[in-house]
Amino acid sequence: MPVIEYLPGNSFFHKLDPRVKIIFLLSFAVFIFTTRNFYIISVILALALFLWITSGIPIAKIINIVRLMLPIFIFVIIVQALFQVGHTNLVSPLIPKFVPLIGGRGRITLEGTIFGLVIGYRLLTLIILMPLISMTTDINTLCLGMVKMGMSYKIAYTATIAINMIPSMEEQIMTVMDAQKLRGFAVFEEGRIHEKMKAYPTLVVPMVIGAMKKSMLMSVAMDARAFGSKKTRTYIDKIAFTATDYSALIMLIILLGILSYYNFIR
Amino acid sequence: MNQPVIEVKKLYYRYPYADRYVLNDINFSVNKGEFLCITGENGAGKTTLSLIISGIIPQAQGGKMRGTVTIAGLDTSEHELAVLSQNIGIVLEDPETQLFTSKVINEVAFGAENLQIPPEEIFSRIRWALKVVRLEGYENQHPMMLSGGQKQRVAIASVLAMRPNILVLDEPTSQLDPIGTIEVFEVIKELKEKYSMTIVMVTHKSEEMAYFADNILVLSHGSVLAYGKPKDILSNREVTTNAWITIPQISELYLKLKERGIDLGEFPILQEEGVALIRDLLEKRLSANA
Repeated sequence: MPVIEYLPGNSFFHKLDPRVKIIFLLSFAVFIFTTRNFYIISVILALALFLWITSGIPIAKIINIVRLMLPIFIFVIIVQALFQVGHTNLVSPLIPKFVPLIGGRGRITLEGTIFGLVIGYRLLTLIILMPLISMTTDINTLCLGMVKMGMSYKIAYTATIAINMIPSMEEQIMTVMDAQKLRGFAVFEEGRIHEKMKAYPTLVVPMVIGAMKKSMLMSVAMDARAFGSKKTRTYIDKIAFTATDYSALIMLIILLGILSYYNFIR
Repeated sequence: MNQPVIEVKKLYYRYPYADRYVLNDINFSVNKGEFLCITGENGAGKTTLSLIISGIIPQAQGGKMRGTVTIAGLDTSEHELAVLSQNIGIVLEDPETQLFTSKVINEVAFGAENLQIPPEEIFSRIRWALKVVRLEGYENQHPMMLSGGQKQRVAIASVLAMRPNILVLDEPTSQLDPIGTIEVFEVIKELKEKYSMTIVMVTHKSEEMAYFADNILVLSHGSVLAYGKPKDILSNREVTTNAWITIPQISELYLKLKERGIDLGEFPILQEEGVALIRDLLEKRLSANA
């Protein structure tokens, strides 16, 4: 089952106009990366988790996403811990003095580690927040929402088709892995971390080549259906703001106001 | 019937950054309501030619093209794809690369929306197109959840909703299982017989050629190796051998019997023809023995 596929439903968040969802997610994304307040990020994370649960999206999906992103979190934390300037040493020197040439160099600082953890926490919040939109909004409606917000339909379609391609790329990875297993190559199931790292190119190369081929053929098929031949296009779908959307917007503005007060004034 | 709607004259084509022409001196025409099959070995230039006829080359894909290609009186080099696509539509080989949206209804509407057709008109076209491809009731299904044959029929419906007079099918059944092939086959048959559409189909399958084609164009290494009626092309050993065409099983049986001294008479390309010839032969023998 693909990780960020649209899951139809009747929840409050499902029913919102895609424009409200886009404003909602963009404003919180800006907050996540501009605030230095740990509690504000936590409030956004709690809200994102609340929306996941109330939208009926299985919690297992969050765990899957976090698991997929785990190597990136670890990498960010390690890099920050090693290279961020700080005064309080946790490990110093990192390389023992007896090692020739490079001995006595490198250190891990408390400030760097905390900074790394904060960035990791921001990424985690963002990663839990962002799929909410693609999992609760039909791709056609999402595209229409972007167009109604003033985005060129060519860019909106490119973005939504890219989202649409993620599940098929996941399927392709599974196919490659199955093909590898059939030939006795089970490193991704049974191997150690360094073996997996070594084996990644065997997975990534066919996936990238396959995706490039597919996107080239898709562009031919889109050209054949006159995509981009006119400045604007018509849509059979319709979206309109309802009372729920207006109330959601008001709630959002109030929440953003409270967060801004705690972030900028207090 | 004898009015050409596709005219290809002295066509040469070279892909961007390529150093040789993949199509050389191609000349042919297709009349209104005609069914033309294009065949040839892999790499002969069949798909390139179908993209050229559809105007995608050179309008969207670039490259160096010489000669003229006219569709319903419109020179494909001089008219935009939006104009050309209302006259000619193309369905590609792989159904999955032709599906971009999350519902069958949006998929079928995609091309018509790009042509700025009003939504009410699009809805009536969707109803008609889904009826033609026998997918009524599938409007809200996710295209990726359909079978191969159904996906290809959605792709055909999406092109039909643009209301072209000419349809180009690039190996529409090559990636389908036997059931999917039959489903698509039935739709093509209806488009030919009921709607008298002008159809150009790229195919390797000689049974399909024998059944549908008014004429066959055989390409080899980017040039026209032969052009003519299905019976003339499929009975020409030199052409079928050079273009790697596997002749229909019934034609193969005819040749095998002939080698053993049994002449059925006329060269059959359709199963029904062969059955009739064998029945005649058996009846003659039975009456001779009696």
